[in-house]
Amino acid sequence: MSISTAELRAKTALGPKRTGPLVGLARMLGPDYRLGYLFILPTVVLVLALVAYPFCYAIYLSMTRKYVGVPPVFVGFDNYVKITFDGFFQRAVVNSFIFTFGSVGVKLVLGMLMALVLTSGIRFRSFWTGVLLIPWVAPTVVSALNFLWIFDYSLGVLNYLLVKVFHLLPQGVGWLSEPGTAMASVIGVNIWRGFPFFGISFLAGLRAIPAELYEAAAVDGAGTLQRFRHVTLPGIKNILIIVMLLSTIWTFNDFQIVYILTRGGPGGATQVLPVFTYEIAFGAQRLGEAIAVALYMLPALAAVIIVLARYMRKGRAR
Amino acid sequence: MDSRLKDLAERLDAGLIARREFLRKAALVTGGTAVGLKALESMARAQSPTKLRVWLFKSYVTAGNDILAKQVEGWAAERKVQVDMDWATFGDREQKFVAAIEAGNPPDMAEMNYQGPARYKPALRDVTKLAKDIAGARGGLLPYADRVVNIAGQYFGVARQAFPGGLFVRKDLLDAKGVKLPKRYDPDVVDMAKKCQDASKDLWGFGQTLNRCDDGNGFMQAILWDYGGSVWDKDGKPALATTFKKENLEALQFAVDTIQKHKIQPPGVMGWNDVSNNEAYMAGKLVSTNNGASLYYAMVAKKHPLAEKTQVILTPGGPAGSFVAAGAYNWGIFQKSKHTELCEDLIRWVEDEKRFDEYMQASIGQAGPVYKSRADKPYWKSDPNFQGMVQNILRSVWPGYPGPFSAAAVEVQAQYILCDMAGRVVTAGLSPEAALKEAHGRVEEIYKVRRS
Repeated sequence: MSISTAELRAKTALGPKRTGPLVGLARMLGPDYRLGYLFILPTVVLVLALVAYPFCYAIYLSMTRKYVGVPPVFVGFDNYVKITFDGFFQRAVVNSFIFTFGSVGVKLVLGMLMALVLTSGIRFRSFWTGVLLIPWVAPTVVSALNFLWIFDYSLGVLNYLLVKVFHLLPQGVGWLSEPGTAMASVIGVNIWRGFPFFGISFLAGLRAIPAELYEAAAVDGAGTLQRFRHVTLPGIKNILIIVMLLSTIWTFNDFQIVYILTRGGPGGATQVLPVFTYEIAFGAQRLGEAIAVALYMLPALAAVIIVLARYMRKGRAR
Repeated sequence: MDSRLKDLAERLDAGLIARREFLRKAALVTGGTAVGLKALESMARAQSPTKLRVWLFKSYVTAGNDILAKQVEGWAAERKVQVDMDWATFGDREQKFVAAIEAGNPPDMAEMNYQGPARYKPALRDVTKLAKDIAGARGGLLPYADRVVNIAGQYFGVARQAFPGGLFVRKDLLDAKGVKLPKRYDPDVVDMAKKCQDASKDLWGFGQTLNRCDDGNGFMQAILWDYGGSVWDKDGKPALATTFKKENLEALQFAVDTIQKHKIQPPGVMGWNDVSNNEAYMAGKLVSTNNGASLYYAMVAKKHPLAEKTQVILTPGGPAGSFVAAGAYNWGIFQKSKHTELCEDLIRWVEDEKRFDEYMQASIGQAGPVYKSRADKPYWKSDPNFQGMVQNILRSVWPGYPGPFSAAAVEVQAQYILCDMAGRVVTAGLSPEAALKEAHGRVEEIYKVRRS
């Protein structure tokens, strides 16, 4: 005698089969998925409160005309349109890219040199590592104020050395008073401050490369440059990308060095976006416009980050 | 343990009271104690002193800062008020105000610079009665000071002081060359500088940056007025490349010429900030420089050898006269304060003439007069260098002159538009006409935004 499924269910008291989205979720996330929500709730709340809300609010404010002490007035994309055609903003964008890529490129080379020297058989390696880390460890404000004095035309030590001690120049250079030298000076200070981060990161990467690889390469007849190209560089590729990524973001957002040394001068020659944002926010006190300036380059930076992150993931997959 | 509870426990142990009676009485004792403690706590809270948050301005004149702090502490002790004092400096003043106002947590009162009443008006209390009372008892406000605290008939700040300045001149060098004190920039300052400077010894005739800083702003603004020009016309409309184009061009040309043509300025001057000229002057690298009284204070306080060789004179002028801008520092009371009367009382306390005199004496010329009677004090005749400073204050005008003092005028200063204008000619090679036009465009934009 045959028996239908419904009858079987009735007899075995199984009841009707459960279906629907909840069952699907349970099957996908596991039977205790509700507890999982509970566990991630604090993190979600924190991220929403400390990251998502301020970010969304900033986007909203960038679309308003907002002065200190008065409520914002929504103006749509007016602020973005206005700054797009602002000559000083355009110059700040160009300066920001010169400042960032000029700094990051040199920091990369110097950092690599630092790491290679420190992994060689140099004596007092720990001492030199400590010394080379000083610029990174010292507070930026203190370093920048020192450089302000170093670069001073009349009283600075740099001109004193170049003119009076080493007689390399007939007269001093106005390091912070000419557009070219001012930009070179702020880039120089950023490089001085930032290259130890590259160096120390590369150092960690180099130490993780097995010595056998170098030995094998040497046995195969690879010279120093070939070993560097085919063993060292692939070994630290991921670190290199991460360090460049971080440094690009930090340098692009560096405010202190430029503000203390030149305030964007002379004549706006070293004006970069963070200083420009600061001036619009606290000088002009146009808060909506200042946030628009700050957010303007976000898509470009985000694109760089996404491209680099994808590249890294691909590298790891290989 | 409470003695009553202990007694109850002993009586329970001795079998004198039943367990139920022990529980009832113990509950009464405990509850009564709790209620009593709560009452005591609320009484203590009611008696705790009122807290007042006060922001003071920290100037370079440290002796003056100390005296002001002591006076505020003295008032707090007298009135049994707890004062939470904080300092704002030249560098962080505006940031602090913006952040506090936007966070809805400003202090009860603060010492603001001349921009404060115009910028923070929406968050400030109307202090017209207090301002008029104090000014009335001191012969009235000087016109430049009245302009910055009085916004359309309402006072949003009680004026306190202005930082005077002048042209600091190395009298010894001028005497050695037989050069007279200059009255006009062109030709007097130029001639003096050329005769007294010695580039081979890194000694320069005139140290006046046009870079983005307060010193650069002050000079650029004044030089336009000196040549009969201005950023604004009488109605407060932009006039940089329109109404006063010819005068402004001449002024800009002169400013640039001091560096490029006359070569009387140190080669690094376009990289200077507000303290660079002070340092260069005190290092003996300059024959003359425009600066506030704080430079004189620094030299006198440190017994610097150049203090005696320096003469502070009236800021030189141009074909249209000699102009300087002065801004009155002032006390503002914020709307959010729940202690308006205390704030007003504190303002009256520190502005009391005896206390202000004490502050002024310690400030060595820095506490310039904002009230007519304070300008007549014998103190200003006690040092020959004070005469130039006080006279500069008395003839000073306001940002926005000859038009009204306005938020737009403040913003032009805050964005260093005039410094950029000069900087674009000196360092970027723009023609004065092109730089003037570019700057005018920026001023127009500010005017439109602020007007709307």
